[in-house]
Amino acid sequence: MLEEFGRAGFLLLFALAFPLAPILISVLLGALKIRPKHPNPVKSSTYECGVETVGDAWGQFNVRYYIIALLFVLFSVEAVFLYPWAVAFRQLGLFALIEAVLFVFILFVGYVYAWRRQALEWL
Amino acid sequence: MEAVTQQIPLEHFLVLSAILFSLGVYGVLTRRNAVLILMSIELMLNAASVNMVAFAAYTSPEQFIGIIFAIFIITIAAAEAGLALAIILRIFRYRKTANVDEIDELKW
Amino acid sequence: MLEDLDRIGPVLILMVSAGGILLVDLALHERDRRWLPFGALAGLAAAAIWTVVLILRGREAVVFSGTYSLDSFSIFFNFLFLGVAGLVVLASADHVRRLRYQGEFWTLLLLATTGMMLLAGARDLILIFVALELTSISQYVLAGFLKDDRSSEAGLKYIILGAIASAVILYGMAFLFGISGTTKLVAPEGQASIFALIAQGESGTRAALFAAMVMLGAGFSFKVALVPFQMWVPDVYEAAATPVAAFLSVGSKAAGFAVLLRIFYEGFGPDSFIGSDWSNLFAAFAVVSMTVGNVMALLQTNIKRMLGYSSIAQAGNIAIGVAAIAASGGGVSLGASGVTFFLATYVFTNLGAFFAVIVISQRLGSDAIAGYAGMGRRAPLLAAALAICLVSLTGIPPTAGFVAKLYIFNAAVQSDLVWLVIVGVLNTAVSAYYYLRIVSHMYVSPAPDEGDIVPSPWLAAALLTTSVGVVAIGLVPFPLIKAAERAASALG
Repeated sequence: MLEEFGRAGFLLLFALAFPLAPILISVLLGALKIRPKHPNPVKSSTYECGVETVGDAWGQFNVRYYIIALLFVLFSVEAVFLYPWAVAFRQLGLFALIEAVLFVFILFVGYVYAWRRQALEWL
Repeated sequence: MEAVTQQIPLEHFLVLSAILFSLGVYGVLTRRNAVLILMSIELMLNAASVNMVAFAAYTSPEQFIGIIFAIFIITIAAAEAGLALAIILRIFRYRKTANVDEIDELKW
Repeated sequence: MLEDLDRIGPVLILMVSAGGILLVDLALHERDRRWLPFGALAGLAAAAIWTVVLILRGREAVVFSGTYSLDSFSIFFNFLFLGVAGLVVLASADHVRRLRYQGEFWTLLLLATTGMMLLAGARDLILIFVALELTSISQYVLAGFLKDDRSSEAGLKYIILGAIASAVILYGMAFLFGISGTTKLVAPEGQASIFALIAQGESGTRAALFAAMVMLGAGFSFKVALVPFQMWVPDVYEAAATPVAAFLSVGSKAAGFAVLLRIFYEGFGPDSFIGSDWSNLFAAFAVVSMTVGNVMALLQTNIKRMLGYSSIAQAGNIAIGVAAIAASGGGVSLGASGVTFFLATYVFTNLGAFFAVIVISQRLGSDAIAGYAGMGRRAPLLAAALAICLVSLTGIPPTAGFVAKLYIFNAAVQSDLVWLVIVGVLNTAVSAYYYLRIVSHMYVSPAPDEGDIVPSPWLAAALLTTSVGVVAIGLVPFPLIKAAERAASALG
């Protein structure tokens, strides 16, 4: 028990050290005046995959995202139901297949409804 | 390697779930923002899920009833949250607030 | 497996017609939407016919490995819920025609009914929970369906408090599952059930069982609106559309008490070592619900709010029957049949009162009780229908409400709960004041306005059914009592 937690703790230490070490080394080298220091606005801006950043992370999102998020939750929960069925597919046989098809069909009805009510449109 | 059920007693999971449930109740009672109340309710539902799965693993490991129950809880929690958020959004459109103390047109 | 599907055929029909209406509505032109209520009625009628055929073929059985039980209890409630839904469809046809989303309304109504029918037959905690949420979520949407400011507020209050109640029920269910290792209330021979494990009565499980009992009791008390879990009722009834309020007032109450009987009477059992505990729990609920409901109803000036508080008081009356089951100490009790019979009469009575309110409020444009002055001259038939229902809610002969109250009080007396009956009778006297105040207002006070009030054919049909039903049950109660006793005998 303790041994296993110890292994996990070791991993945790390593994971912390990995990003912290370069930062510490950089600070250390800066303090010893070995590292040159010439900041400019481009250098000190936030790095985000090379794309220029727009605003900060606290901007407001359009409330229309809500519908998209809702549909996303719906289909991810659907996967929760299909997963156990898929794992035990061979043992369960034809009846479970029919049930799964019915389940997906009901979701499909919901999908058609969302589509026809313009829930999937983006203005 | 021993199974987890032999290494950690059931009580640990029950205490965890009781703490989660109490945190949820505390949040429901003290939070004034409707969205945060909703999140506290999710905490209560998840506490029940933890209970179900723990009991399933300890008392009837050969059956999956508790785990199936947990899957249904997840689904229904998602449905309830989706609906509640929709209603909160609509109230926000009318009142410009999600504070439950200010949503008080109906009383007595 | 097809045998099993046959038994839940009525439920399946309702589900299919709910989905069908949703899809057909998408394809329909605006003017063709008026045919949708006929679709809903056809679905309900088909479900009723299927149930009748099931009875004629003698197909009562427990299906899906002990999950759903088609017995006289669930059949009784199937008819009750189908009747409620049918009457509500009649009463809301005019209202829905003014809405933008019409197909959705009918779909939600049918889905809520589906959930209630499943609840009445459920013998497994998972099915109880899923059916409960199917009903509740549909009702949350219906409560907020008007989309105006107040209706949204009612919807928010309903869903937040309802979700808390669901979480509490769920936590209690987790304990039940933990004690027994099964979710079956009653299992087939040879399998473990919650009941069997509780009957063994190890003292170590008592604390957990007690916690589970309190949580389930509290959660379901919310659904049936017992004090102190009644906060949502007046707000939702006032702000939701009146036909929806009518549906909520009888539907969720009947379904909630049906599942309470399933869990506490059939599952825990009256003679188990926890029986007297839950009997006391419901006796306490009954006393506070009757008292708070009646006193608050006295103060109301809005008739829908008044009916809301009155429904809380009526829930207290029904809880007397639940308390009476176990108080008899395991003997034969009239409590379960009393609850069943009371619910059946309450459905007719309360729906009738709400239907009359729909017609009158539509014309007056307000729900103020003051507007009912002189209704006896303006609309004699309508006023008579409302008066019959109010008299029945009070519990005065020769109406259904009188027989039901007599029956449930008798059950309590036989279970040595005389003190509870005395509280009930005192409360009836209080309730007479606010029910009969409206009756006298309609017949004695002069009318501020003139002009007839004529209900639409849909509403007239619904009103006629409920008024005739209330008087007919009051005069010839025995067939319905027989049916209720048969239904209750399936549980005990």
